[in-house]
Amino acid sequence: MTNKYIALPKGVSAENFDAAIRAFRKVLGDASVLTSAEQLAPYIKTMMPVPDADHTPSAALLATTVEQIQKIVAICNQYKVPVWMISTGKNLGYGSAAPAERGQVVLDLKRMNRILEVDKDLAFALVEPGVTYQQLYDYIKEHKLGLWLSMPAPSAIAGPVGNTLDRGVGYTPYGEHFLFACGMEVVLANGEILRTGMGSMPNSNTWQVFKWGYGPYLDGIFTQSNYGIVTKFGFWLMPEPPAFKPFVIQYQHEEDIVEIVETIRPLRISGVIPNAVVIAHALYEAPVKAKRSDYVSGPGSIPDEAVYRIMKDHKLGIWNVYAALYGTQEQIDVNWKIVTQAFGQSGKAKILTEQEAADDPAFAYRAKLMRGDMTLTEFSLYNWRGGGGSMWFAPVSQARGSETLKQMALTKQILAKYGLDYSGEFIVGMRDMHHIVDVLYDKTDPEQTKAAYQCFDELLTEFSARGYGTYRVNTAFMDKVAETYGPVQRNVHKTLKKALDPNGIIAPGKSGIR
Amino acid sequence: MKKIKLENWVSGCIFAIFLTISNTWSAQDEKTAPGFVWKDGAEIYAKICAYCHEAQVGPQIRHRELPAAYIRAVVRTGNRAMPAFRASEIDDESLVKLADFISKKETQH
Repeated sequence: MTNKYIALPKGVSAENFDAAIRAFRKVLGDASVLTSAEQLAPYIKTMMPVPDADHTPSAALLATTVEQIQKIVAICNQYKVPVWMISTGKNLGYGSAAPAERGQVVLDLKRMNRILEVDKDLAFALVEPGVTYQQLYDYIKEHKLGLWLSMPAPSAIAGPVGNTLDRGVGYTPYGEHFLFACGMEVVLANGEILRTGMGSMPNSNTWQVFKWGYGPYLDGIFTQSNYGIVTKFGFWLMPEPPAFKPFVIQYQHEEDIVEIVETIRPLRISGVIPNAVVIAHALYEAPVKAKRSDYVSGPGSIPDEAVYRIMKDHKLGIWNVYAALYGTQEQIDVNWKIVTQAFGQSGKAKILTEQEAADDPAFAYRAKLMRGDMTLTEFSLYNWRGGGGSMWFAPVSQARGSETLKQMALTKQILAKYGLDYSGEFIVGMRDMHHIVDVLYDKTDPEQTKAAYQCFDELLTEFSARGYGTYRVNTAFMDKVAETYGPVQRNVHKTLKKALDPNGIIAPGKSGIR
Repeated sequence: MKKIKLENWVSGCIFAIFLTISNTWSAQDEKTAPGFVWKDGAEIYAKICAYCHEAQVGPQIRHRELPAAYIRAVVRTGNRAMPAFRASEIDDESLVKLADFISKKETQH
């Protein structure tokens, strides 16, 4: 019987797993319970530098209703079979559609893809987990609702539920996605259905308009967690502004980033610039315009001299600051004056708008991201080294210029040790700053794959030793990151897990929680 | 006031209100409205593939008479940096249509 499945959940016998599969088939039908190697192949591909076998699922369940999910958790409890939930499964660079641990059953919610409500007046949406940004974008256009989405770079193929539950971000003024979440429906491990906030109250129509409800606020414990299965998700949408002005400000020297962040911070905190400001290094933007092989060959990280040639050849700054203004034309005119005065003071900034840069492919895709249009152009990053290896390194710091150079120097030093390039950007939030680095490597090269793993491990070790916490990480490193936040938090997470899911059937290992 | 809702969502909610006797929700208000389904291969190509394959991120794949079986295999397993797409995203029937759309000669469109 062991050969019947390509993997088994940890601690579950082949006989018990077979019985669980039979029970799943009764609930979902044969066609929605996938167990063959061919059917499961799309769930196995990840961009992480670990063997696929470490993250091979035993099965995938294609559920379409809440009632099915209630029955699935009952079966999981009976047979102690763990499920790993995915929505669109496009958490690329963070684990894709593969489970955290070998043998977990993927509960694939992609076919729960109904847009349940979009309210034009109150500007909110209620959707199921499988809804993609593209689907919602098309729906809003079709019904002429005049609302904008905020989405991450994999826009069209990703979705709001999975992205927000993993506390992902976007590039519009609504870009800190979990801030704009409002009401969830959650199937708990005991099969009960919880609607958070106002959703718990019968007859209430305020589920998607008032976040807090009464008593302890619960939504947060269902993000980056494994305490329940979110089956409906409400969030706020941004009314389409009358005018929109994207811009890029280029700087020529790496040390200029101190000035950049010091200039941005007051503009962000005061709301003059309402969206997260991206400060992209030349090597983050280069793949949209240039091929690495045109500038460097052989092993090792790209030398600074080649980076400067790329900048010159492709009209990039070493730092490229992307932001936008939103509102009426009058509001934009006033704020533009404030922005240009602030950045113009030192004489180092080159300010470009759509007028000068509309045809620039890097500017064009950044502008799309900042107005919630669909684009996958940022995937150009994956062509830089080729071979399909990528991990996002994402430490958080205060939004201060003094934080930047030391972080960049440390990152570059560790990447160079392993022969990898610095494809980095800083994103200035409301008071924080995310340093986002795509650790790109060739996964078809075993040596580079091994180096990438060691490199990422060292990045996490060195940054956490300096007090820089990682806000999100791929499934191969979740335990390591959980450890960096200390034993008390880990113990509280574990206590909640025991209380809400005593059999540990929901995504064990997520964020290091079991 | 313009409010956009799925018809069955409204009826489902009303149904749920009458059924709910405590503040615990049941799955009985689950709607029966069908979810999103693809119309044809052209739609899938435009809404997924074209964002890379018509944007100089991935290679050109249309009008090259690539074998349909090869296209289906690459979609399901990915290829180097290209992500894999599951049957829950592009069902088997739609994948056949997509492969057909991609592999046809230019003159056949």
